[in-house]
Amino acid sequence: MNEEATDRVFQALASAHRRQVLDIVKADPGCSVKDVCRHFDMSRIAVMKHLTVLEQAGLLISEKQGRTRSLYFNPVPIQMIHERWTDEFSALWAHRISALKHRAERPS
Amino acid sequence: MKGTTMEKHAKSVFRVVINAPIDKVWAELTRDDVLLPFFFNSRYDTVSGLRKGAPFRMISRDGKYTSVVGEVLEFDPPHRYVHTLRFTSLDDPPCKVTYELKQVDGGVEFTLINEQVPLGTKTEKYVTQGGQFIVDNLKAVVETGSATLGGRALLALIGAMSVFNPKSMRTENWPLEPTSGDH
Repeated sequence: MNEEATDRVFQALASAHRRQVLDIVKADPGCSVKDVCRHFDMSRIAVMKHLTVLEQAGLLISEKQGRTRSLYFNPVPIQMIHERWTDEFSALWAHRISALKHRAERPS
Repeated sequence: MKGTTMEKHAKSVFRVVINAPIDKVWAELTRDDVLLPFFFNSRYDTVSGLRKGAPFRMISRDGKYTSVVGEVLEFDPPHRYVHTLRFTSLDDPPCKVTYELKQVDGGVEFTLINEQVPLGTKTEKYVTQGGQFIVDNLKAVVETGSATLGGRALLALIGAMSVFNPKSMRTENWPLEPTSGDH
């Protein structure tokens, strides 16, 4: 990810409302713009502006389905920022150990 | 499930821009002659290559174990590849995986879509965690020639853990037959 793209991610995340949008979409993958609007006391246009900023940062993916749009959270840009400052031993193992747990616990 | 998505199925989408020619990304994604780091160090095994309608299995380095089986639903180089996916260690029905490649400024926009994922199952957990790993490491492999640091650590762990693979994952239990529709 180049610096320009990184700027876009941080700018997109530098807003409580936009972070909340990501929470909403992550909890309900495939939700519509209307679903997101329901959580906010602002105009649809204002919400749409936030969605555009998030989409341009790559944090939100929208798929046209007929006349409505389905929204999905894309975790990849955040993962790439995480990797930039995380070395192989710090945050990695906490995450990987849960993968190990799933592997070990799966029925044989 | 909240909102309007009242389905029994989950869907997740992962996207990244890969700084490489589209043909190179496609070639890496569909290689069947080496272990693929972004597919958890497994290798494609097919009767006569990846093509529409072809069954495939993802086998371990020594070929003894099969982690995933599926059938190719669409194969349109270098833009779109769709297949079913079923984990051999689980009893869940197959889900659908789509890879889309699109030429954009600065490279190839690569999108991974997991669909028809049975809700609340381990398959859902695996593909949601795996999706991130795949796009991240495909990008790293194409751009740098190897997996990410975190990816390499996980692959080492998987290699070490493979002695615990259940018998149900043995390749002889997973003949190359079409898998969609019979579940």
